[in-house]
Amino acid sequence: MDKKLKETILNPILKGNPITVLILGICSSLAVTVQLKGALVMALSVILVTGLSSLVCSLLRNSIPNRVRIIVQLVVVAMMVILVDQVLKAGEGTYAIDKQLSVYIGLIITNCIVMGRIEAFALGNKPIPSLLDGLANGVGYGLILIIVAFFRELFGSGTLFGLQVLPAGYIPNNLVILPPFALILLGCIIWVHRAFDKDLQEK
Amino acid sequence: MNTNSNAYTVIYTTLVVVIVAAVLAFTAMKLKPSQNANAKAETLRQMMSAAQIKPTDELYATKNAGILQLYADNIDKAYTIGLDGEQNGTLSTEKSKIDLVDNLKPQDKAIKAGDAVTLPVYVFKSGIQVIPIYGAGLWGPIWGYIAFQPDGKTIAGAYFDHDSETPGLGAKIKDEAWFREKFVGKQVKFGSEPLFNLAKNAEATGADNAIDAITGATMTSKGLNDALNVWFKAYEKHLGNKAETQNEEEE
Repeated sequence: MDKKLKETILNPILKGNPITVLILGICSSLAVTVQLKGALVMALSVILVTGLSSLVCSLLRNSIPNRVRIIVQLVVVAMMVILVDQVLKAGEGTYAIDKQLSVYIGLIITNCIVMGRIEAFALGNKPIPSLLDGLANGVGYGLILIIVAFFRELFGSGTLFGLQVLPAGYIPNNLVILPPFALILLGCIIWVHRAFDKDLQEK
Repeated sequence: MNTNSNAYTVIYTTLVVVIVAAVLAFTAMKLKPSQNANAKAETLRQMMSAAQIKPTDELYATKNAGILQLYADNIDKAYTIGLDGEQNGTLSTEKSKIDLVDNLKPQDKAIKAGDAVTLPVYVFKSGIQVIPIYGAGLWGPIWGYIAFQPDGKTIAGAYFDHDSETPGLGAKIKDEAWFREKFVGKQVKFGSEPLFNLAKNAEATGADNAIDAITGATMTSKGLNDALNVWFKAYEKHLGNKAETQNEEEE
């Protein structure tokens, strides 16, 4: 694999992580991280939407009229989001999760990561790198989502993926379930990330 | 080609929108049957949770086919009634073509307007009968299923659901088991006002039909209280009569 492609894939997961470095997609990462299961489905949905939207927009990049490009991108992203939502609703195992995630699946369209990657990358690059860039950004987003959800489900409900992990005597911490704690946790992750990667520290 | 000319832009956007619309319409059509099957199983889970057929967790761990079987095994009969309390239709309970009145919004409108309605009553073999309720919460519709003991006034169980109530506040009507368990054993006071009283400090009155509203969810609680009273009123002639005949028999 050539170096540039590797960079395309690894950068969004580590050095250019959309949540911890670009601080995008914060709203949904506070909202859907109460349980691991929900976070995982949300992560997969976002990976699919960012990947496929970037791919389609990259295929269209030379034909899109410049004046309406944002609108065309929006239509493509909206289509992907609705498709994901419809498929989740149709799956027997995912129906309940879709209901639980409620509006947040539909709100993927407003996630800045999706439009951001299309504008910044897909419109200027070939389809395959664009697909990988979209997928990798989704993975970077999903990774943080799952880390946050792991701690929130463990300490907020004493479970992981719905299975009891902490001893039955553990009294769940209600603060952990509320969105403000996700913000605190996110702050801690950003702190740890910057402590390890000195390049990210502001002078 | 000049991709910035007006004609190109108009044709391009039209094409994109038409293609996207076609893709979405096709998928929606293809997926509709399985989505409907999921929605039906969901309704049955909520009804059977209210009717205390099995614990809610177990029902949610059961697959769709198992849910249809469980319903077919436990249901005695299902029919619809009008506002006069008289039966005006039957609902199939056969496993392969279970019939439900699951579009409650038009029924809710008709009740409030006093129009003709087909309100469902699901009678389980245990004698427990389940009726739906429907109303407006803070952000969107809320609905639920209330199970009555054979006497027609004592609540055997309840299950509530909502479209978009605030998580941690209004959403508690669905998320918190203690809230629906509060309804068990309460009695609807048919023939008096209010039929049911879900309000702040209502339990302090000691009445059989009173439940405290949820703290921080004033509008959802108020909406639920309205929904309960409107729908109980609509079923009053049906359930209330039953309650009276039962009393006479006892005397």
